[in-house]
Amino acid sequence: MNPVLALRAVSKNFGMTAALTDMTLELFPGEVHAIVGENGAGKSTMIKIMTGIHQPSAGTVEVDGAPVVLSGSKAARLRGVAAIYQEPMVFPDLDVTENIFISATSGLLLNRPAMRRRARELIARIGMTLDVDRIASGLSLAEQQAVEIARALSQDVRVLIMDEPTASLSAHEASELRRIARALAADGVSVVYISHRLEEVFELANRVSVIRDGKHISTKGIADTNPQTLIAEMVGREVGNYFTKMPSTATSETLISVQGLSVDGVFENISFDIKRGEVLAMAGLIGARRTDVALALFGMLKTSAGQVTYKGQPLQITSSRQAIDAGIAYVSEDRRKMGLAMALPIRWNITLATLQKYLSPMGLINTGAEVATAWDYKKKLNIRTPNTDIAVGLLSGGNQQKVMLAKWLNMAPDLLIVDEPTRGIDVGAKAEVHALIRAFTAAGGTALVISSDLPEVLALGDRILVMREGRQMAIINHEDASQESIMALATGQKDAA
Amino acid sequence: MGLISRLSPAALRIIALLAVLAIVVIFFAVQIEGYLNGRLFNRISSSVAIMALIATGQTLVILTRNIDLSVGSMVGFAAFATGSIITNNPDLNPLLLVLYAAVVGTAFGMVNGALVAYARVPSIIVTLATMALYRSFLVEYSDAKSITTSGLPAWLTDFPNMPVFSIGAMEFRAGFTASLAVVIIVHLCLTRLRPARALFAVGSNPEAAEMAGIDAKRVVFAAFALSGLMAGLAGFMFLARFGTITVVAGLGFELKSVASSVVGGVNIFGGSGSVIGAFLGAILVDLLETSLVRWAVVSEFWREAVLGALILAAVATDTILSRRLTRLRATKKGDAK
Repeated sequence: MNPVLALRAVSKNFGMTAALTDMTLELFPGEVHAIVGENGAGKSTMIKIMTGIHQPSAGTVEVDGAPVVLSGSKAARLRGVAAIYQEPMVFPDLDVTENIFISATSGLLLNRPAMRRRARELIARIGMTLDVDRIASGLSLAEQQAVEIARALSQDVRVLIMDEPTASLSAHEASELRRIARALAADGVSVVYISHRLEEVFELANRVSVIRDGKHISTKGIADTNPQTLIAEMVGREVGNYFTKMPSTATSETLISVQGLSVDGVFENISFDIKRGEVLAMAGLIGARRTDVALALFGMLKTSAGQVTYKGQPLQITSSRQAIDAGIAYVSEDRRKMGLAMALPIRWNITLATLQKYLSPMGLINTGAEVATAWDYKKKLNIRTPNTDIAVGLLSGGNQQKVMLAKWLNMAPDLLIVDEPTRGIDVGAKAEVHALIRAFTAAGGTALVISSDLPEVLALGDRILVMREGRQMAIINHEDASQESIMALATGQKDAA
Repeated sequence: MGLISRLSPAALRIIALLAVLAIVVIFFAVQIEGYLNGRLFNRISSSVAIMALIATGQTLVILTRNIDLSVGSMVGFAAFATGSIITNNPDLNPLLLVLYAAVVGTAFGMVNGALVAYARVPSIIVTLATMALYRSFLVEYSDAKSITTSGLPAWLTDFPNMPVFSIGAMEFRAGFTASLAVVIIVHLCLTRLRPARALFAVGSNPEAAEMAGIDAKRVVFAAFALSGLMAGLAGFMFLARFGTITVVAGLGFELKSVASSVVGGVNIFGGSGSVIGAFLGAILVDLLETSLVRWAVVSEFWREAVLGALILAAVATDTILSRRLTRLRATKKGDAK
């Protein structure tokens, strides 16, 4: 059988840097082919070559065994190659039907009734229910992805590349998406599945390829490999025990005590306390309202009931400025929207929240001190960048995350609230971020970590607070917690004891 | 309530605009004696006949997340060039004359489009520069002379005022009717033609448009070319209506066209809006301008300020409205953690 799409010794250089070297990959109809690799390993460059956005510097792309030139994304789509991304590429101002047929190339007049009918058929084919007249900006991420898949299907897709499709989905939505991927493969589509979640790879894929530093490392049947091997191949070294819990550094002094905190219609009756040096992890599914609890503590959400005692004093916080002044830092889950100014230099981002520390008596910014701080964090956090003056947006996700942490650590907070600290970043960077949070608490800091990644919850949390739909289900000690017990509480299979 | 939720947001915008228009008319009718008559309709319709075309072109450009500040200069140049041709060749076929105006406008629009789409210079800079450039071309070309009505054939100057049909005291004249027809044709094209969808797609999410195989550069180029075309046609109308063309013809039209589009509900950040909205926006802006002149309460010096404030109010309402909608969606989504 011919591979439907193949890369043969493909290389891609950007200036002096080689993003891909001698990459060879074969994709067959009806298979789910997982691709794993650290951030910056060259996955996105590879996708861009397969979808015609980039052209290879050397080597060939073959479709059905014949070499082709994919001169643009339109050319790739005409050959049946399409991609969907973690952040769906929909048009927020257009409705579902218009979104699905936006890439259509035939016909001058739009036949709206026929388009709607066909849109319904396509949505039904992937087993979803969706009003085809809805405007896309009101759709959930999962629904937007469904629209993108339907768009690909409308053009007789033969190779569907899914790039981290489940990274932002809830557990239920993610399993729905995997079901769709499986169904498409059963229909003869070649599905390329890129994911950082290894358990997902093992559940879904028929074959898995590892790439590292722009090179192809291995391609194996899923039965012939295991997670440890994959991780070792991805990072090219044994990762220190990333899943292992470090000993607690909790002291006996309570830093913050929250009693019966509520926000009308959002969450209710949340109570916990955190000791200095402790890590409290907040687990739960998407929609459990964990972020809202953090936002309430940070003064961004008005509470309707409850008391907060902080450093032994009652504390009423109504703005983020107050929270920052009190020594509370909140590291957002959304790097792009709430975390970093992507176009600004790394240095500026790091000192953004603490700029008053860098003012000279004249009120001017002391650039020397600023540079020193930025380099200090670059070294301490191992931020991989030639210098601290380049725009943050140019760094990989893991390094962006480190810059964001640096920005808040530079404030020397007493309480560090971190929301999804390692979402979308690779295994190596994950371990580094975990070590950072641990070092922070070992030095006397206190952390509240919100995470949807259960191994992470278990690796970081001295205690674990599980939430479900705005309610606190339980607080469990690390010794008594397991992935199964947390999941049972988070999904409501086991009720709050 | 059921009806309101069933109507599309775009249709709601049009209804809201019509309501605002009605309120403004009633307000001034109460304030100014003898306000409501056929003359008011004529005055506004003949002025809107020109602005509607320019605002239509501006809307096409704004939909793609760009702006065209050179429209006023293009109108002026097209008006002068057309007037100079017909003065020297009085027997020229009227259709050829319209075509000439269209070609002149389109050519200027294509220069804008090429610079924005292919040379990747931000549109505000490109059109700010070409606004000055095209105006200078006009000054150079006119050689400090003016086109005067006496040199124009009668058919041309009669055209805008030729009655076509009338509803009650409202007499629809040829200029306004032609311009209304153009707006409706563009509206039908925007909503019914497949390639027009790309315009909305590029403005709504440029990256996704690229990924969906849309040639975003060509779309932006086309939008500017069409804006030039509309400015050319408006130049023809301008010549026909005023007869006298000097180097300041069309000065200030760029801001008025942007105001018309935005008041008409065209999102200044691209992706949504309609030319019908822009048309109604042009009527509203003109109605306010004309009525304020006759309203003794507001002094001449404050007229511009009142107009500016009203435009701000319209845009602020739009922003607040869309933010409300977003929040409504967010709560409906319920997937926040």
